[in-house]
Amino acid sequence: MATLEVRSLTKWYGPVLGIEGVSFALERGEIFGYLGPNGAGKTTTIRCIMGLIRPGGGEVLALGEPVVSGRATRHQRMGYLPGEFRLWPGVRAGRSLRVLASLGGGDGARARRLQLAERLELDLDRPVGQLSKGNRQKVAVIYAFQHQPELLILDEPTNGLDPLVRQTVLDLIREAAQQGATVLLSSHDLSEVGAVCGRAAILRAGHLVEMGPISKLVQRGEHRLKVWFLDGALEPPVPLGRLPGVRVIEQQPGLLHLAYPGACDAVLRWVAQFPVDRIATPQTSLEEAFIQYYKTAPPPAAAAGAEPAPKGNP
Amino acid sequence: MSHRVPFPFALLRFWSRRLLPMWAFVGLVIFLMQIAVCAIVHDNASVKNFLNFLDVLPAFIKTALGGEMLQAGNVPGLILIGYQHPLVLFLYMLFAVGVPTTLLTGEVQKGTMELILSRSATKTQVYVCASMLTLAGMFALVLVMFLGTVAATRLYDFGQPIPLDLFFRIAVNGGLVAGAAGSIALLAAGVLAGRNGAVGVTVAVLVLDYFAWIVAQWWPSLGFLKPAALFYYARSPELAHGWPLGDMSVLLLVILACTILGGVVWQRRDLPL
Repeated sequence: MATLEVRSLTKWYGPVLGIEGVSFALERGEIFGYLGPNGAGKTTTIRCIMGLIRPGGGEVLALGEPVVSGRATRHQRMGYLPGEFRLWPGVRAGRSLRVLASLGGGDGARARRLQLAERLELDLDRPVGQLSKGNRQKVAVIYAFQHQPELLILDEPTNGLDPLVRQTVLDLIREAAQQGATVLLSSHDLSEVGAVCGRAAILRAGHLVEMGPISKLVQRGEHRLKVWFLDGALEPPVPLGRLPGVRVIEQQPGLLHLAYPGACDAVLRWVAQFPVDRIATPQTSLEEAFIQYYKTAPPPAAAAGAEPAPKGNP
Repeated sequence: MSHRVPFPFALLRFWSRRLLPMWAFVGLVIFLMQIAVCAIVHDNASVKNFLNFLDVLPAFIKTALGGEMLQAGNVPGLILIGYQHPLVLFLYMLFAVGVPTTLLTGEVQKGTMELILSRSATKTQVYVCASMLTLAGMFALVLVMFLGTVAATRLYDFGQPIPLDLFFRIAVNGGLVAGAAGSIALLAAGVLAGRNGAVGVTVAVLVLDYFAWIVAQWWPSLGFLKPAALFYYARSPELAHGWPLGDMSVLLLVILACTILGGVVWQRRDLPL
């Protein structure tokens, strides 16, 4: 049984589309990346999952129970980190966290809270209004993790954190998953999604345009080829007309850096005509793949429903 | 299988503690106001000067403070000035408008409602917490007002027995009027998106209601407006003889209707998180 299942979720804000036909399922212990630019519908999806807004269609099953808007479905066992985390400015961070933890029992949350504060080097005795942006984000991380939830919904969890703390947060996410928690990680930082997630989905203008293992998503983008020619060799002009989709990233005396889609056969055959010193195939990053999806993905109307969500994909 | 969400007493406690300073301040001023009014009323010379001063002012001011009940020798009528003094009414309105709009629309605008609702607390439970604090707070303030009168009767000699049972009935009935004002604010906070909008609408309704009552008393041809004004029920003629059950039922109905309607809309609408 999936820990989190989203089925054909749709939400319109009056005439404006939030999301349409979004479906995916997360298994126990999985870290799932949820990618998309601003306004793509990530936060709308997350708020529907948390029952904070009422979807226009579709349904969400959290920990096996259908989510009903405003009914706090399974919230006792869920951790949530909103994209914009705001607390009562005059109240001490520790007290705010204690109050929120106690909405839902909060048994054992104190010990975990103190442990997390120590690990993130955060003083919980200071009023939230006096904390820096980064420290407020640490409070947000503690808020999401303090009651050891089984399902974590994290919207930009490392926003505003320095690289060291960011690593600690990513470690926390990995540890939670190792202990069996399921994590939905919405992020703009593709490197962190690539670092911790097994699978990811890409959202564009409210529609899911791609979903699958990170390695597969990366492969579906452009590939790279760097060719160093032997000294004194002629710099061959690239016959772009004969190599569809190929583009030149960099061309210097003795060096050619190409990007190509799909199979490398045609490119290699052309390169083999020249005296080659060595070649390299730089790894395409998730970020590059992401940009490619946005350049090449079909318009949202065509993409809607074109990507049936694979269920139980590890 | 649906799991029942336990009532969020932690939220109720947290909000109570945050409201306590405001409630205590309003309560203290209302309490002292009753003592001050009784201090004036127990001195005949001061009463005569005060009534002479009122006669110089436009008639509606005397009407607002008690009308024909304000006679030298009518001590209960004079003590009642403290129950309908504009400062006291303003403080009640401040609390009635401030509490639900702070707790509901205020938390939404601050962004903290998203956190509250992402924990184990349903929207209805959150609304119930705000309703309990508004209605109980308003009712408690009216009882503080009555306690001010009780304390004043111990401090001053009025030369005649003060019918505290009458004041108790007036206070309980006044508590319902105050609760009705609070329920209008709850309805506004449950329905409207912004805090300023909710405050504005509630204040406008209560001010219009108050002036409708004043005008209806002052201008006999507009007397038909009286039953439409909440403040009319605060001075039910039946209070002198016993509990005005009919008027109290009307007030209870207003409280229930506004509170439930606000709760239904609050539950059904998407909050502007």
